[in-house]
Amino acid sequence: MMAIRELKVCLLGDTGVGKSSIVCRFVQDHFDHNISPTIGASFMTKTVPCGNELHKFLIWDTAGQERFHSLAPMYYRGSAAAVIVYDITKQDSFNTLKKWVKELKEHGPENIVMAIAGNKCDLSDIREVPMKDAKEYAESIGAVVVETSAKCAINIEELFQGISRQIPPLDHHENGNNGTIRLGNQTPQTIRRCC
Amino acid sequence: MADKLPSEFDVIVIGTGLPESIIAAACSRSGQSVLHVDSRSYYGGNWAGFNFSGLLSWIKEYQEESDVGEEWAAWQELILETEEAIVLRKKDQTVQHVEVICYVRQDSDDPIEKAGAVQKNPVSVMSPGLNDPLDTVDTSCSDTSELPAPHNEPETALEVLEVEVTLEKENQHGYTSCSQSALERDIAEHVPIMEDVANAPKKHWITYSQIVKEGRKFNIDLTSKLLYSRGLLIDLLIKSNVSRYAEFKNVTRILGYQEGNVLQVPCSRADVFNSKKLTMVEKRMLMKFLTFCLDYEQHPDEYKAYEQSTFSEYLKTQKLTPNLRHFVLHSIAMTSETSSNTLDGLRETRNFLQCLGRYGNTPFLFPLYGQGEMPQCFCRMCAVFGGTYCLNHAVQCLVVDKESGKCKAIIDHFGQRISAKYFVVEDSYLSEKTCSNVTYRQISRAVLITDGSILNADSDQHISILTVPPVEPGSAAVRVIELCSSTMTCMKGTYLVHLTCMSLKKTAREDLELVVQKLFTPYAEVELENGEQEKPSLLWALYFNMRDSSGINRDSYNNLPSNMYVCSGPDCFLGNEHAVKQAKTFFQHILPNEEFCPPLPNPEDIVFDGDGVQPEVLVPKPDTAKEVTGQRNPEEHAQE
Ligand SMILES: Nc1nc2c(ncn2[C@@H]2O[C@H](COP(=O)(O)OP(=O)(O)OP(=O)(O)O)[C@@H](O)[C@H]2O)c(=O)[nH]1
Ligand SMILES: [Mg+2]
Repeated sequence: MMAIRELKVCLLGDTGVGKSSIVCRFVQDHFDHNISPTIGASFMTKTVPCGNELHKFLIWDTAGQERFHSLAPMYYRGSAAAVIVYDITKQDSFNTLKKWVKELKEHGPENIVMAIAGNKCDLSDIREVPMKDAKEYAESIGAVVVETSAKCAINIEELFQGISRQIPPLDHHENGNNGTIRLGNQTPQTIRRCC
Repeated sequence: MADKLPSEFDVIVIGTGLPESIIAAACSRSGQSVLHVDSRSYYGGNWAGFNFSGLLSWIKEYQEESDVGEEWAAWQELILETEEAIVLRKKDQTVQHVEVICYVRQDSDDPIEKAGAVQKNPVSVMSPGLNDPLDTVDTSCSDTSELPAPHNEPETALEVLEVEVTLEKENQHGYTSCSQSALERDIAEHVPIMEDVANAPKKHWITYSQIVKEGRKFNIDLTSKLLYSRGLLIDLLIKSNVSRYAEFKNVTRILGYQEGNVLQVPCSRADVFNSKKLTMVEKRMLMKFLTFCLDYEQHPDEYKAYEQSTFSEYLKTQKLTPNLRHFVLHSIAMTSETSSNTLDGLRETRNFLQCLGRYGNTPFLFPLYGQGEMPQCFCRMCAVFGGTYCLNHAVQCLVVDKESGKCKAIIDHFGQRISAKYFVVEDSYLSEKTCSNVTYRQISRAVLITDGSILNADSDQHISILTVPPVEPGSAAVRVIELCSSTMTCMKGTYLVHLTCMSLKKTAREDLELVVQKLFTPYAEVELENGEQEKPSLLWALYFNMRDSSGINRDSYNNLPSNMYVCSGPDCFLGNEHAVKQAKTFFQHILPNEEFCPPLPNPEDIVFDGDGVQPEVLVPKPDTAKEVTGQRNPEEHAQE
């Protein structure tokens, strides 16, 4: 039996860059042109193998709170990784990426793994952001970077694999979440992040 | 990236405290379009929690006298002749007597304090300039030098120095009297010296710059509460599924204070029997009494005659030693010696006992990262169902239609008029004109950072609650909640201690300092000769008073339109019952036919009701890991 590790991943990026579409593609292998702006969806999970562990991604979507710069700090709590998304056809969305990174550094957990996704790479004929810019920037902050297309299922798996690889191996000493309680419907469940 | 706000909603909620956030979530959940705004840059109002630098900014704000009123677009031209305005307050007045005392060394030449830029926004976001958000976006985007190496994170200091701090080190335990010079100590602290053959491991002195540097490890709540494990808030969290956004710790110890000593109070059956402090006879007495309390209503003859007496009087008639009486009164019922009657006492005792054992051997839970997470969890729920969130968004006035007497819109600080059917406003936003007939009580609060627990034990990771009975005539009972670092509210090696009482004297410091002195000693970098010091040391302290706006009758406010609801700030009690009750009452007024925060029909994970995929039927297969396993709540997996 492989050990399952729960990894919270939060999504960041401007409205309309394709955050929800990326999760939807990753979790359900599905793409919907008329996806409503994140109503009702905020929490999806998918488990993938990584080495001799299973990584169970708990993926949080912004729920639109970022639209007026009002993301709650609880959104970042305990995140192992953040996916910061921009739209390669919108220079603006790349410019604001840096703001999201800064925000993460201020409010996110200290050792959070950062992954940058240049989404909508199927539209490269109307590209505004050169791949080179993203690569350079990602390198400067030590982030993983890929260009993705939620629409055409390009590099979505790779994005999350990239995250998996950056997650430091489980440190048995700092298994400090002993006694943490999640409130369930009937039975309270004490979390064990390693079996 | 900031769009313009829509000009029409069903419900507008002003203030992001707990009751407002619950109402926002409930309304949004029932399909109402909700605009939720707060004029502050952080969530929670007086229910908020801050990291250390965020707290310093908060302190500064309340220590500053001047009203740095921004220019707001004039609203006067925006209302019609048939309308009138309820003008809201520009600057919050609910917090007073803010005092900070730093007991640890505050060297100004400490390298760390020079490191970074000022973090302007305590908790949240890239707050846009009030007038042109895009402007801000541009300027700070061009600044790539901001990407910090881990060592100079932009959260320290300049501000630290600006906060008004009472320095007590000189007159209490001056460093000057210490034989070692500051410089030498610095070296000892930062450079491991190989020749140092000192037999005992060197004590690690904590300095102010360390607290500042590790400031993000702190989550300091303005309001100190716990969740009763069978209380209304827990029930609501579970029922509505909001619970998935938070994690909790069980409070591990109930403490009592008697004759100057802090003692652990046994309360569960196992505790009672394992207690080394109680005699066999006492154990039996206590168990018998507690068993009776669990179903006291079945035995009215046992207490009928004492219904008019105080609980304390009643306890004297029971077979209990003074020791046991003290614990039952102060630590279990947590009622006051003088003012609560027998029935209150019995009810509180039963409530306590009923909450035992649900999650652990005390009745209380505490949210990881602090109580300040609670409003945010409900806000997220609201947003998930389409609610619109705007911090840093002040409302100048509510617009009332003269003829119908109903509120119809707000005018925000940009001068935008936004209409709605219902308006929920937190008390602190109301102007003096609206509240001229209201009398408020005050809550006294202290927040301490200490270097040790008030009761040392096998583990240094306890979460404890202690009630200190009134220390002198005319003072109040003080509730003390001590949080260890695994609650994610303070840095390793420290404790965060919250003191709360009803204010009876002039300032919070006057109300609480005596208790602080009884439990702690000021920090001193002096190695004590006879080893362990008996009391933990105070590193840093904050005192303030907060207005208690609970229990105010709606009629006390002047001219409230019928579709406007006023939420209270935090009350003085331990639980969150008042906030939940108020939210529910207002919600039922607004939407009488709707259920309050019903459970989700499907887990919210399933929204993509697209044609091809039917997420519900995807059953996780244990051997093919690369399957979708996440269509359900994490909680539900446990039951498979
Ligand atoms: N061509 C193309 N369109 C995409 C891609 N990903 C998303 N979109 C479209 O972009 C739009 C926005 O996608 P969303 O996934 O809703 O974006 P979001 O970042 O979640 O937006 P908010 O929830 O509003 O913050 C939708 O119309 C998607 O169909 C992609 O890879 N290629
Ligand atoms: Mg979305």
